[in-house]
Amino acid sequence: MTATVTFTSGFARKYTNGVREFEVEAANLRGVIREMEKLFPGLGHTLEEETNVAINGELHETGYFQPVPPGAEVFFIPRIEGG
Amino acid sequence: MNDSTIVTDSVKRFKWVGTRPIRPDGVPKVTGRAMYGADLKLPGMIYGKILRSPHAHALIKKIDTSKAAALPGVKAVVTAADLPEQKNEFIGPERVAVNFWHVTRNILAREKALYEGHAIAAVAATSASIAEEAASLIEVTYEVLPHVIDVDEAMKPDAPLLFEDMIPRGLAEPNPKPSNISKRLEFVMGDIEKGFASADVVIEKEFTTAAVHQGYIEPHACVAKMEADGQGEIWSSSQGHFQMRALTAKILGCKIGDLRVTPAEIGGGFGGKTVTYLEPVAALLSKKSGLPVRLQMTREDVFKGSGPTSGSSMWAKVGVTKDGKIVAADAIFKFQAGAFPGSPVMNACLCAYSPYDIANARAVGYDVVSNRPKSAAYRAPGSPIGHYAVESVIDMCAKAIGMDPLELRIKNVASIGVPTIAGPKHAHAGFMETLQALKAHPAYANPPTGPNQGRGVAIGYWFNGGGESSATMQVNADGTVLVATGSPDIGGSRASMAIMAAETLGVDYNLVRAIVADTGTVGYTHVTGGSRVTFATGMAVVDATKNVIKDVCKRAAMIWDVDPEGVIWEDGFAKPAGANVGDFKPLSLAEIAGKAAATGGPITASAGVNAGAQAPGFAAHFVDVEVDPETGRVDILKYVAAQDVGRAIHPSYVEGQIQGGVVQGIGWALNEEYIYNAKGLLDNAGFLDYRCPVASDIPMIDTILVEVPNPVHPYGAKGVGEANICPPMAAIANAIESAIKTRMTHLPMSPPRVLAAMDAGQK
Repeated sequence: MTATVTFTSGFARKYTNGVREFEVEAANLRGVIREMEKLFPGLGHTLEEETNVAINGELHETGYFQPVPPGAEVFFIPRIEGG
Repeated sequence: MNDSTIVTDSVKRFKWVGTRPIRPDGVPKVTGRAMYGADLKLPGMIYGKILRSPHAHALIKKIDTSKAAALPGVKAVVTAADLPEQKNEFIGPERVAVNFWHVTRNILAREKALYEGHAIAAVAATSASIAEEAASLIEVTYEVLPHVIDVDEAMKPDAPLLFEDMIPRGLAEPNPKPSNISKRLEFVMGDIEKGFASADVVIEKEFTTAAVHQGYIEPHACVAKMEADGQGEIWSSSQGHFQMRALTAKILGCKIGDLRVTPAEIGGGFGGKTVTYLEPVAALLSKKSGLPVRLQMTREDVFKGSGPTSGSSMWAKVGVTKDGKIVAADAIFKFQAGAFPGSPVMNACLCAYSPYDIANARAVGYDVVSNRPKSAAYRAPGSPIGHYAVESVIDMCAKAIGMDPLELRIKNVASIGVPTIAGPKHAHAGFMETLQALKAHPAYANPPTGPNQGRGVAIGYWFNGGGESSATMQVNADGTVLVATGSPDIGGSRASMAIMAAETLGVDYNLVRAIVADTGTVGYTHVTGGSRVTFATGMAVVDATKNVIKDVCKRAAMIWDVDPEGVIWEDGFAKPAGANVGDFKPLSLAEIAGKAAATGGPITASAGVNAGAQAPGFAAHFVDVEVDPETGRVDILKYVAAQDVGRAIHPSYVEGQIQGGVVQGIGWALNEEYIYNAKGLLDNAGFLDYRCPVASDIPMIDTILVEVPNPVHPYGAKGVGEANICPPMAAIANAIESAIKTRMTHLPMSPPRVLAAMDAGQK
């Protein structure tokens, strides 16, 4: 199942040579992280440690278990903490 | 509590969700018997005292503790030399990246004192008075350094540096020099220049805000008891005892599993008790003395030694068409981080425009250190500050094109599918419904008409949180139920957890008792912060309850000697299903619990979740004010706050959250500020001079609970604790301008500043 992975421009500059969007085959977030790690070794760890993720706009902590529906937009954003 | 308006289109009716049972923690609190952090007394306990820096910025040349240690009754003296050094590296996500090299230096200073009140050394003695005397006998040799307090001053190339080797992160320029700028952030969407070119009206303005403290009534306090084998226990007032355990273990260099932390009742936190100040020091004193140690702050310590939220210097620019479409927005947010990096400036960047559908927007943030206490989270950290600037300029745009300010927001509010500046598209409804509910309030049609009176409108957005939570449920022999979670109860979570458990289980609310359990008796639970507890911990409670239901259905099947599939759970009873219908009399929870031993032993179940898909918080307010032209005093005549609350599990607590957020916002807007003198010392470290609002300052705040349920949560809950503090500062500034035609660009809008602005004819 194909999902579109998107990064902020700042994140893309730092980790993916400025490329913001990727098409990956994955059924869950573990698969997405694994595919991105293949493209950019070390990026998987960064995604797990430094980001939250929005799957079709729904915010989650970046874990392995979140399902990624076919055609989903997977957007990694800086992690947020509240008061 | 007040009689709020509840706006809901829900057709689902619940027995307990949405009701207002009496708070389970009420009696011990109103009778003074609740145990807070400073109330615990253990056998043999001694008393700690921290010596704090009298200077804003100074090298620590020498610390001589010999006289203090020699004082009769003194059992331990510690300095930073007793703590292990930490690596100078940022760990974890960008916004909350922790550098323990900084954290350990904030807990006990090493090379430098970086702000007045910075902890330098600590003692423990057999009485509080001996400890205080001993602290005064510690001789510290300082070399006083030039200091910097203001954020704009701190950013200048020639400013005194707090860290001579700190290189800013995120700057575009190559090889940046050491600076007090810790990092720069930038978020962009669309084409800013093109957007502004299409605007009919473009307005820009600079703003500043003062640092304000969370103002919790209870000062930080804890008791630590460390054993010779390295194990230890801590009793602490905090927003997260698992967080205190992890931070203390890291600072001490011990194993997490060797520490057990028990949450005390908490007298307010608002974000300021998500970080540790005392626990590692108390544990260190206990380890050294072999005795339990109590450590607590005075109010002066709280102001000088614990984190306020950032003050700021900001610029915002908004472009709008004549018919009220916002076509471009730009902003720069410069935030005081305090003495160590880590302000919430990123949140300001991400929240300020998020309630709107603006195609072209940019937000730039700077995190800047200066000689102030390290900033800490405060209710929607960062978001209220950014909203003050942006909502003020949007109000000026509305006035410039002659449009009602609420109509302007209705015209531009974001809906599902609209992208945010962070990137993801909005996935939840509730914004428009909230604006319409505010507009429908009877008072909105009747703005104030008296001299020097005016109305202001503003909105606010906050992400809300999810994440890790645990819950355990036990069914007692008489059918009563215990629900244990790891979430310190700040906003009424014991009541809301019991309500959700009773609703799910189908039993009377009064049969369910909810407690906050220590780190040794319930699974890991993230802090009570980010408006996450009712949502995330609530999901854990519902999951644990469902696990109990599965278990008791199996036990009923055993009692009836039928297959488990032949039992259903309905309205608090196990009932025969399928082919068994009519064969057995339904069994109550108490009847099944009475057979617990025969059916397999104690009935208990746990659940852990990493909850996601939390919906954001959205608030819309209007306020009517009157300005006294003789004194500059601003009186709040009427305040109406609408908020998307998902579903109010316990409406009274939700109303309390909204009213509390508004009151704190009023204080932030009108009076509260850290005031420093020329030496960089805080001049108002007490509630007499740091003016929080009191009940007589404000009218009853009308609340409108807009129920647009979150479909992901079993009962539709959304976080409600933070969005409410985002609009008040801008709403009040906008009202003041309506009243006296003077735009206030500095917080607080205290009487002297209002008078000065009026005299200056500020537009």
